[in-house]
Amino acid sequence: DEEFNELCFEFGLELDEVTSEKDIISKEKGEEKAKGASDTVLYKIDVPANRYDLLCLEGLVRGLQVFKERINLPRYEKIIPAQGEGQRLIITEETVQVRPHAVAAVLRNITFTKERYDSFIDLQEKLHQNICRRRALVAIGTHDLDTISGPFTFTAKAPSEIKFKPLNQSQEYTASQIMDLYRTDSHLRHYLHLIENKPLYPLIYDSNGVVLSMPPIINGDHSKISINTRNVFIECTGTDITKAKIVLDIIVTMFSEYCEKPFSVEAAEVVYPNGKTHIYPELTYRKEKVKPELINKKIGISETPSSLAKLLTRMCLKSHVTGNGNNIEIEIPPTRADIIHACDIVEDAAIAYGYNNIQMTIPKTYTIANQLPLNKLTELLRLDLAAAGFTEALTFALCSQEDIADKLGMDICATKAVRIANPKTAEFQVARTTLLPGLLKTIAANRKMPLPLKLFEISDIVVKDPDTDVGARNYRHFCAVYYNKSPGFEIIHGLLDRVMQLLEVPPNEENGYTIKATEG
Amino acid sequence: FTEMPTDNFVESSFWNFDALFQPQQHPARDQHDTFFLQDPAEAPELPAGYTAKVKKVHSQGGYGSQGYKYEWRLEEARRNLLRTHTTSASARALYRLARQEKFSPVKYFSIDRVFRNESLDATHLAEFHQVEGVVADRGLTLGHLMGILRQFFTKLGTGGTLGGRGTPQGPPLTPLLSPGITQLRFKPAYNPYTEPSMEVFSYHKGLKKWVEVGNSGIFRP
Repeated sequence: DEEFNELCFEFGLELDEVTSEKDIISKEKGEEKAKGASDTVLYKIDVPANRYDLLCLEGLVRGLQVFKERINLPRYEKIIPAQGEGQRLIITEETVQVRPHAVAAVLRNITFTKERYDSFIDLQEKLHQNICRRRALVAIGTHDLDTISGPFTFTAKAPSEIKFKPLNQSQEYTASQIMDLYRTDSHLRHYLHLIENKPLYPLIYDSNGVVLSMPPIINGDHSKISINTRNVFIECTGTDITKAKIVLDIIVTMFSEYCEKPFSVEAAEVVYPNGKTHIYPELTYRKEKVKPELINKKIGISETPSSLAKLLTRMCLKSHVTGNGNNIEIEIPPTRADIIHACDIVEDAAIAYGYNNIQMTIPKTYTIANQLPLNKLTELLRLDLAAAGFTEALTFALCSQEDIADKLGMDICATKAVRIANPKTAEFQVARTTLLPGLLKTIAANRKMPLPLKLFEISDIVVKDPDTDVGARNYRHFCAVYYNKSPGFEIIHGLLDRVMQLLEVPPNEENGYTIKATEG
Repeated sequence: FTEMPTDNFVESSFWNFDALFQPQQHPARDQHDTFFLQDPAEAPELPAGYTAKVKKVHSQGGYGSQGYKYEWRLEEARRNLLRTHTTSASARALYRLARQEKFSPVKYFSIDRVFRNESLDATHLAEFHQVEGVVADRGLTLGHLMGILRQFFTKLGTGGTLGGRGTPQGPPLTPLLSPGITQLRFKPAYNPYTEPSMEVFSYHKGLKKWVEVGNSGIFRP
């Protein structure tokens, strides 16, 4: 376990928890229910959000093995079937209104076992949650190719015209009935809103009219895959074509391992409404050239070009030295869609080298330290106020509407408060325009403390201001409260005089300060 | 290090996310994690030339990057929010630096309040403070970043000695109070705007494990 933890740390993964199914059920439902559950050790691993290729066991293991140099990165191959023999997905123009893009591919002669099947379904769910943004951007559908026959049509129809037997149901339903059926389903009800109010719902069916799926909600029962499935037809539909392509690439690269010809994917043709066709999956291998000095300089190490090439190859970025040793050519596989810039390549080189092997240095930059004048003044005032016997409070900047208006006897419109659109509770509806509510709440919470309570706060408040580039600004306010059995106006007056004395503001009408009564 | 002005809790999505290469579809821009504003809902002013550049890099790429290749929307960038990190102030500061006649190396810092739309519990508040530091110069490396972080945490530790020693059940903040945080390890991480990125871990003697004490990275070009 220790060793695996170390490996994860080096690679950039976090080993969150070492547990087992038994433990999980014990914690959630009690020991009784856990009896008979599996004792096999489970690792909970946190994967960075941009590494889609590590979301399933196959990808994770593959990545780690290449990292440890136990295997070479497999080469993913696209097989284009002879003219007329491949699968075709025809997109009609109705889809433009609701879900315009679609890509497809075939995994031929694949062998599933229970674990592989579970992993396959699991990967789809993880991708849905992650890059597909909960099916809003892309939805994945996988089907048993032997139960259906192409060419397939991806179109959009009115809900009343759609009728099929959804996955794991025993009868046919119309689209509207399906919406109602899954309204209470804990898993699927979150996706209903994606198409519910549209005039047309997306639909995929085969040449015989058998419905494959109604993305992004549910697949048809007819084409569902099982452990015995040998040929899989994968389709991804969505509103973002780039992500759809990435998702397809990930699924096929991960699971083509189990095909009869490992790591080979059968391409499918997608026909667009305007007649153009495109072959998917793309499985592009992109080439980038990076200078070894750049990598060395950015990290702060000095490795030879060939050792850098070796480091990158360990991170699934196959590289070799070119030119006369002063350039490295890197091949970026389709599984690494997260490599967008040379700096991503630099990071991978650093990870392979080992972050903790890099020597720590201090930059030779000479700069002069400086405190912001506003903050410097605030700090000085805070010290003097404490010396005057007041205690500093730090309160929330967000409060309820009543706090800054009604409770102070003012009208909310006059406050020019900044209002929050999505507060979780009523306590965070607006940003404070005065420090007073915060201090008063602090006193209310500390009524049991010995009196008198003398509190102050110097902090920012927020008001709307049409002259700023965002429409609001902060002001630094100073507020002090005196709480005792007898009112102490003279105490607060004295404090104010002291502060003005420190700030060198004279107590007169023209160029100094005076005290006036306010509203509320 | 020079202090940066951070006196704006209200920020536009542009400075808080887009200028930092965080895609518009990123989950952190969700309703669940960010406080969006009802009033003022949109930022009236965004820097015109810079906005066009940001749009291009997100949607098509540029400066050596492939970009995210999605449709970048101006309305989304205009949405006002309560800042989720002080990095938006850093972005503004770096923008100002870039517009200077002549480049001068700088070191900036800030310590101020940020807001995240989370449910409150023992370890999470909706408002909290962040400490942020930025160094800009030619020829900086990851090794330099690690060096600065090590110095920072060492100095942070020697400041206070308020009973951090040997309490086995302290909250995770106690490492900051125990004499000198010198045991540091760096772990590869992911941030939308930095690459390489590192999470900084320190060994907590009380809890007998490594806890995360910070996050860092080199800004993407």
